[in-house]
Amino acid sequence: MTSRYLKLKKSAPVRWVASVRIAVACLVWLFVLTFWGTVAQVSDGLYQAQEKFFHSWYFLQWGFLPLPGAQLTLWILFVNLAANAVFRFVYRWANVGILIIHLGLLSYFVGAFVTLHGVEESNLTLREGETANVAQAYHDWELAVWSPSDGDALEVTAFDVAGLKSGEVVTLTDPPLEFGVRLFFANAQAYTRGKPPQPNLLNVSGINDLSRLPLDSAPERNFPGGIFTVRLPDGSRHDVLLYGQESQPTPLAAGGKGYLLQIRRKRYELPITVTLKKFEMKKHPGTEIARSYRSYVQIEHQGIQRDAEIYMNHPYRFKDYTFYQASYAVDQRGEFRSTLAVVRNRGRLLPYISSLVTFAGLAVHFLVMAFRRRSR
Amino acid sequence: MRRFITVAVLLLGVLGRTVAAEDAPVCPVAKAVSEYAEFGRIAVLDQGRVKPLDTYARSLLLQFSGRSTFDGEPAVTWLARVLFDPGRASSYQVFLINNPQIPESLGIEVAENRRYSFTQLEKRYQDLQRLATAAAGIDPKDRDIVETELIRIHENVRLYSNLAVSFAFALPHPDFAVASPSLREQLELPAGGEVFSYIRIALKADVLQRLAQPLERLEQSRWSAEQQEVVRLGSNLLRWSMLYRELPVKIMPSYRDADEGWLSPMDAMSTGLRFAAGRQELRLLEKMLLTYWAGRDLEFSLVAKGFTESARQRAMTVYGRELKNFPLELTYNRLSPFLWAKILYFLTFLIFAAGLMLPRAEWLRRVGWGVLLLGGGLHLAGVAMRIAILHRPPVSNLYETFLFVGLIGVAAGMVIERATRNWLGIAVAAICGYVFLSIAAKFGAEGDTLQMLVAVLNSNFWLATHVTTITVGYAGTCVAGVVGHVYILQLIFRPQDKQLLQTTHKVLLGALGFGLTFAFLGTNLGGIWADQSWGRFWGWDPKENGALMIILWTAILFHAKIGKLIGPLGLAVGSILGIIVVMWAWFGVNLLSVGLHSYGFTSGLATNLLVYVLAQLLFLTVTYPLAKKRMNA
Repeated sequence: MTSRYLKLKKSAPVRWVASVRIAVACLVWLFVLTFWGTVAQVSDGLYQAQEKFFHSWYFLQWGFLPLPGAQLTLWILFVNLAANAVFRFVYRWANVGILIIHLGLLSYFVGAFVTLHGVEESNLTLREGETANVAQAYHDWELAVWSPSDGDALEVTAFDVAGLKSGEVVTLTDPPLEFGVRLFFANAQAYTRGKPPQPNLLNVSGINDLSRLPLDSAPERNFPGGIFTVRLPDGSRHDVLLYGQESQPTPLAAGGKGYLLQIRRKRYELPITVTLKKFEMKKHPGTEIARSYRSYVQIEHQGIQRDAEIYMNHPYRFKDYTFYQASYAVDQRGEFRSTLAVVRNRGRLLPYISSLVTFAGLAVHFLVMAFRRRSR
Repeated sequence: MRRFITVAVLLLGVLGRTVAAEDAPVCPVAKAVSEYAEFGRIAVLDQGRVKPLDTYARSLLLQFSGRSTFDGEPAVTWLARVLFDPGRASSYQVFLINNPQIPESLGIEVAENRRYSFTQLEKRYQDLQRLATAAAGIDPKDRDIVETELIRIHENVRLYSNLAVSFAFALPHPDFAVASPSLREQLELPAGGEVFSYIRIALKADVLQRLAQPLERLEQSRWSAEQQEVVRLGSNLLRWSMLYRELPVKIMPSYRDADEGWLSPMDAMSTGLRFAAGRQELRLLEKMLLTYWAGRDLEFSLVAKGFTESARQRAMTVYGRELKNFPLELTYNRLSPFLWAKILYFLTFLIFAAGLMLPRAEWLRRVGWGVLLLGGGLHLAGVAMRIAILHRPPVSNLYETFLFVGLIGVAAGMVIERATRNWLGIAVAAICGYVFLSIAAKFGAEGDTLQMLVAVLNSNFWLATHVTTITVGYAGTCVAGVVGHVYILQLIFRPQDKQLLQTTHKVLLGALGFGLTFAFLGTNLGGIWADQSWGRFWGWDPKENGALMIILWTAILFHAKIGKLIGPLGLAVGSILGIIVVMWAWFGVNLLSVGLHSYGFTSGLATNLLVYVLAQLLFLTVTYPLAKKRMNA
């Protein structure tokens, strides 16, 4: 084991992978990406710049030049850091600060990974007196299917529409439906007139065609749409056009069983029910500068009710969910609507831990250096 | 705007002709007073903050003219003239118009000092309004400098016209002329004149109402001349109360207990006269105007004091904390600590330059150290006063970041000097202090720098932790950059002094490490704050990215040094470039006008930023080859 470790340690590829040069190259490229991704926000908006430069493995510049994205760069840095820790790092007391710093940085990588893959962001807009237990995504969309029912409770089945491609087939088990994608646009324009009506194309709003629009720099302004061939349990096939801006679902019926279909912003069921009791906004006297805004809410969880206040820098937390005061609106009647951002983050505490560990490392290193200098 | 033309200009002619007042005969020409200390102490609510009239006057004058004095006199004197003697003040050239295209397009002769009077602008007001309205319709990102300036000037002219009528209630006006002697008697108006002020008539509104009551049952054609006067006076009272609303100079605390808003004297005429305190305070203000016109210094001060005490008593429950800080704020205004600190830093730098000629004069270094201490002390006192006045941590707006980074730079310089005792720290401190206070002065020229905060920033804890630490990080990296310059110059001019170079290199490493530690801590605290208020630790917002770039840059330098990719010279060059990274993070990203942190930025600074970057690149292009040659020699 030890001899193999020593052999590995001396091998050129391992030395190269664990080298400081790789770290410097990655840091320089991250520096460039950070600058580029910041400037790009002016033309592309935050969301698109974030997807292109920071969340991507690679991106094509000018349509042909592949360049590494931040995700790939961070993975390389992670491997380099881990390899360095195993094969190159000199473990001695004088280096304890540096060790702690880099342990903290490693935990940042873990935190970033968990956050990238484990965060649900949605929002909840309520009028005074209104109650809800479902939050709505900002810019993720789903195709939802449910059956018309008399009762209060609806069984809704839904799948994400992001990245759907023509020719793709999505099969649901309950209800047993099959969706063949004829065409799908992440941002579409809908037409009700001007084009000859397509026979047998079902749509509740009278839309008979869609065209592709370029993605908007503000992701909330993208409205997806598509034409799907839906196979019902009785084997019949129907062409349905669905579009994100429709307020009504399109009905489909076969063999006495009916279905409602709609492309809508993704919904997240919350573990609690939130009622907005009152909303309050204060301004600095004699100005239009907001001093504070505050939602007085009632939270219900399994029959137990409690009151809470949500305001700037004072969110309400429930398990891994956090509710923040995000914005508000006043309608024509002067009634307030309060928007609460809802974030479910399973790795919320990781950056806190990483920050603490890394800063502790920096402090220890500083003290060690100072102590060594004095003792010299 | 119409208000001003219909009232303020007219009333001065009237004053010249017929004047009547209870106890102070007003002269045709205002004599003005010379003592404004009490007047400056009057509390005013402006931009959400209760402040002394002295501060208010300064910020107004800065806003209009870019200067805090007018004609060598304090701003408060100018404000008194605008309020009490608007006719005369309207010829003062206080409106700064930077771009000559604007006066040209308005048909006004271009002034060399770039300052214009209200009278000049008022004549071309319709054109100004048309141009400014058109400019306001353009997306702010697409506006050019002239369009932006047009909007600013238009707003300033409007504000000024409102200021000029704020005390019109106390000036006699033809709308309140009473020709009938018997009516004057019934209204108990003073003898000796026919034209009275709004307040004189409004105080007799009950008598007017009583006299008007029988008229309801009487046909209009049968009204006597006196009765017609009664109706005219009554309708003018109503018209004035409708016309003069929402005016500036809110110096009267609300007469309703729960209301935090304050009133201008003209607004108080509509709502405050019902209250005994309101009547008393308005009469005091009237008296202030009259004593101003009569040039009676002592009486003017006494009346101002009486008004301050009355208003203060009513405002104490809600604004007690702010009012107690007035003496401190007035001292702060009078002291101008940052101006003096800047001068002292400049002096320190001159002493340092002299020290270069006399390297062995230890006494000179001590003198430099002493002057630096004095400057640093004033700088610290200024920052401390601001903390005490606003009850807020030292950094809460862009202006304060310059003050604070300058202070930390000076403190770091002092620590370096204590350790090295070789002028290095003195030079670093003098440069940091002077440069950052100069930039701050440029920012401070836009109005009151003691501002209130928007909701998300209204958290002392996070302002004290995140904002303070990140600015300490900026300071550390800037200090490293300054030391980097020194290292390169030492390498060129004193290459043989290895000990000196080694010391400077060590200081550079320490400053970079200090900058990295605090930039890192500040960024992470910012992430935690963002998680607390917006629900995410990191969102690739331009400001966050800027902070990340500082961390990445310093990390690159340290790792490149460890990997022997760069030597001491490379580190010095890197730390000089580090200042550019800091500038980008600090206010460069605000140029983009996107993201959550995009607060105040002026286009003038964009040019300065570019000039700075070019100057640095030029410095490196010239010095690097020389330094490299010396290094290899």
